[in-house]
Amino acid sequence: MFEEASEVLENMLKWSFPLSLVLFLVLVCPLRAEAAHEFSVYRMQQYDLQGQTYGSRNAILNTEARTVDAEVLSRRCVMVRLADFSYEKYQKALRQSAGAVVIILPQNMSTMPQDIVQQFMELEPELLATETIVPVYFALEDEELLSIYTQTQISSSSQGSSSAAEVLLHTATANGFQMVTSGAQSKAVSDWAITSLEGRLTGAGGEDLPTIVLVAHYDSFGVAPWLSYGADSNGSGVAVLLELARLFSRLYSYKRTHAGYNLLFFLSGGGKFNYQGTKRWLEDNLDHTDSSLLQDNVAFVLCLDTLGNSDNLHLHVSKPPKEGSPQHALLRELETVAAHQHPDLKFSMVHKKINLADDTLAWEHERFGIRRLPAFTLSHLESHRSPARHSIMDMRPHVDLTKLSRNTKVIAEALARVIYNLTEKGVGGDLQIFTEQMVQEDQLASLVDWLTAQPRAAQLLDKDSSIVNTLEYYLSRYLKDVKRHLVRADKRDPEFVFYDQLKQTMNAYRVKPAIFDLLLAVCIASYLGVLYLAVQNFGLLYGFLRRVTAPRVKQH
Amino acid sequence: MTLFHFGNCFSLAYFPYFITYKCSGLSEYNAFWRCVQAGATYLFVQLCKMLFLATFFPTWEGGAGVYDFVGEFMKATVDLADLLGLHLVMSRNAGKGEYKIMVAAMGWATAELIMSRCIPLWVGARGIEFDWKYIQMSFDSNISLVHYIAMAAVVWMFTRYDLPKSFRLPVTILLGLCVYKGFLMELFVHVFLLGSWTALLVKAVLTGAISLCSLFLFVTLVHSN
Repeated sequence: MFEEASEVLENMLKWSFPLSLVLFLVLVCPLRAEAAHEFSVYRMQQYDLQGQTYGSRNAILNTEARTVDAEVLSRRCVMVRLADFSYEKYQKALRQSAGAVVIILPQNMSTMPQDIVQQFMELEPELLATETIVPVYFALEDEELLSIYTQTQISSSSQGSSSAAEVLLHTATANGFQMVTSGAQSKAVSDWAITSLEGRLTGAGGEDLPTIVLVAHYDSFGVAPWLSYGADSNGSGVAVLLELARLFSRLYSYKRTHAGYNLLFFLSGGGKFNYQGTKRWLEDNLDHTDSSLLQDNVAFVLCLDTLGNSDNLHLHVSKPPKEGSPQHALLRELETVAAHQHPDLKFSMVHKKINLADDTLAWEHERFGIRRLPAFTLSHLESHRSPARHSIMDMRPHVDLTKLSRNTKVIAEALARVIYNLTEKGVGGDLQIFTEQMVQEDQLASLVDWLTAQPRAAQLLDKDSSIVNTLEYYLSRYLKDVKRHLVRADKRDPEFVFYDQLKQTMNAYRVKPAIFDLLLAVCIASYLGVLYLAVQNFGLLYGFLRRVTAPRVKQH
Repeated sequence: MTLFHFGNCFSLAYFPYFITYKCSGLSEYNAFWRCVQAGATYLFVQLCKMLFLATFFPTWEGGAGVYDFVGEFMKATVDLADLLGLHLVMSRNAGKGEYKIMVAAMGWATAELIMSRCIPLWVGARGIEFDWKYIQMSFDSNISLVHYIAMAAVVWMFTRYDLPKSFRLPVTILLGLCVYKGFLMELFVHVFLLGSWTALLVKAVLTGAISLCSLFLFVTLVHSN
C-alpha cells in the first residue's frame, strides 16, 4: 500500500511542477491594465532637411496629465484644447520642462471660428521651427477625452486656492490621469524611397518636337503628418494635372487634333521637402541619361500648386519671359483667356528671383530654373510663405469646386491655344475650345474627394502605398510610358531624413495619488480593529439574545 | 503604489477571516485540517453545479437589456446544492453544534475567498488604473463570511430531529432567503438601478437581517433544551 501511495505522490508532484511553473509565470508576468480611455494620437513632424533638424524629437510618454493653467508643469503631460492654444502657453510649457504636450483638436474643424483656425495656421511653422525634445501630440476630441480634460482642468486649477485641510483632502482623493503611450522611441527611417510618376503624350510630326512639361507635387504637409490632408495644397494641383492629362489624351487620340508638341506630365513626391522628387528627376534626366525629352527642346515647364480657391491667379516667374518665347506665348494666352472668358478672375504675373541663400526654395519652378529650363508656377496664392501651403487645417472644405474647375478650364484653354497656335491663326479670345462637357466638374470632385480622404504626407507614402499605385494606374489610362522614379536619400550626406512613430495609441489611466493609499490603509486598519473588538465581544450579543429568549422559555 | 493598493484590498478581504478563526476558538480544537476538507467539498460542489448548469440550461438569447427573471431564478435554484454540501460537511464532523457550524462555514467561505477573489485582486488591483470595485469586492467577501455562517447555522437547524414544529416555517423561509439572496440582489439592482456602493449596503443589510434572525433562532433552540 505504501508503494502505491508513494507512486501517487510522485505522479502528483510531476504534474504539479508545470502547474506551479504556470502559476509562477502568471504571478510574475507584467500587467496590462484596462485604461479609462484609449485613443489615437498623432505626433508632430520630425525630420531633418539638409542637415537641419525640425520638430519634436521624442515619442515616449508616461506622465500625469495637467492642463496648461496648472502651476507645476514640469514632467507632466500638458493638455490644451485648440480653442485655448496660443504660442505663449506653448512656450511656457516648454520652459517649465513639461513632459509632453497634447493638443486636442475638434472632430469637425468647421465648428471652430475662423480666426482661431487662421491663428493656428500661422503658428504651425513656428511650432516646427523650435526644435524640442518634448513629444508633441495631436488628438481628435471625443466625449471621453473631453471629460478627461475637464476633470484634469478642475483638479489643476484648484491647486492654488483653498485652505490647507481642503488641499490635503483634495490631493488625497482627487482623480488623476496617467497618460502612457505604447510605442517605442522614434528613430530614423532608413532607406525611405520617395516615388514620383511621369507619363507622356507624344506629339505628331516626327523628331525634335518642342516639349511642354506639366508638374504637380502630390504630397502634403502639416504640423502632424497623419493629419495633413493637403486639400488645396496640393490636392487641387494634382486634380488639375490629372484632368488635363485626360483632356489632352482625348485630343491627341484623333489625328486631326494631334498637335505638334510633346506633353510630359510629372507627379513629383517630396515636394514639401524642398522638391526632392523634382530635383533628383532633373539630375537623372539631364546628367545621367543620353537622351531625354528634357534635354532637347523644352518650350516651358508649368508647375501647378494650390489652385482650389479664390478669384486670383498668379503666375510666379523667376525671370520675366522674353518676347517671342513660348513662355511669353503662354503668359499672353492666359491673360487673353482670363480677360475674355472669365472676367471675374484676376490674373497677374509675380516676379521673384531665385534666392539660393534661403534654406528652401520657394516654388517648384525654381528647381527647373536652376537647371536653366524655362519654368513658372501657377497658383492662387500670392506668396510662397502663405500658411495655407503647410497646414493641417487645409482640408476638403478649403477647395471650392467651381473655382477649381474654372481654373482648370483657363489652363486648358490657354495650353490649347499655345499648342495649336490659335492666336496667330487669328482665333478670337472668346472662342471656347473646350465645351462644358469636356471639363467635368464631377470628375474633379471625385479626384479631390479621393485625395483628401487620407493623409498624404511624404513620410507616409512609400512606393507600395495605395495612393501612388492609384495615381500610376490613372496616368497609365491616359498617358504612355508611365514610369516611376525613386528618390532615396544619400547614405553619407542625406538631404532628408524621416523619423517614425508618427501615430501612437495613448492610454489614459485613472490614478489616485499615493497619499490616498495611505489614507485607505489607515481606514482599513481602523475597520479591522473595530471588527476584532466586535468578534471578541460576540459573547455579549449572544448573552443578550439568550436573556431575551430565556423569559419566554421560563414561561412555558 | 499599486502593490500597496493590492495589499490594502487583500488585508481587507482576508483579515476578518483570520480574526474570526482565531477568536472563535477554532484554533484550540485543531480545526485547520477540517476546514481544508470543508474547502475541498466546496470545490467539488461548485464543479458539480457548473457541470449541471452547463448541461441543462441553454444560453439566454434575448436582448441585452432584458433581464431573464425565470432563467436566473432557475439558475439560483441550483444553489440548493450549496446547502447539500454544507450538510455533508457538518454531518462528517463530530462535535457540538457551534463547532460544526463554524468549521463548515469557515472552510467554505475561505475556499470561496481564494477561488473567486484572489485572482481578480491580484490581476486588477496591481494595475495602474484605480477602480473602487476592488475595495467593494473585499467588502463583499466580509459579507459572504457572515452569510455562510448564517447559512450553515440554518442548515444545521433544519436537520435537527428535535426542532420544534413552530420553528420549521421560519427556518425554511430563512433557508430559502439564503439560497436566493444572490438572485434577490440582482433583482434589486436591476429594478431600482442601484449604484455599486448602494447595492453593497443593501447586501450588507440583508445579510445582517438573515444572520440576526438565524442567530435568534439558534439561541432559542440551543437554550430551550
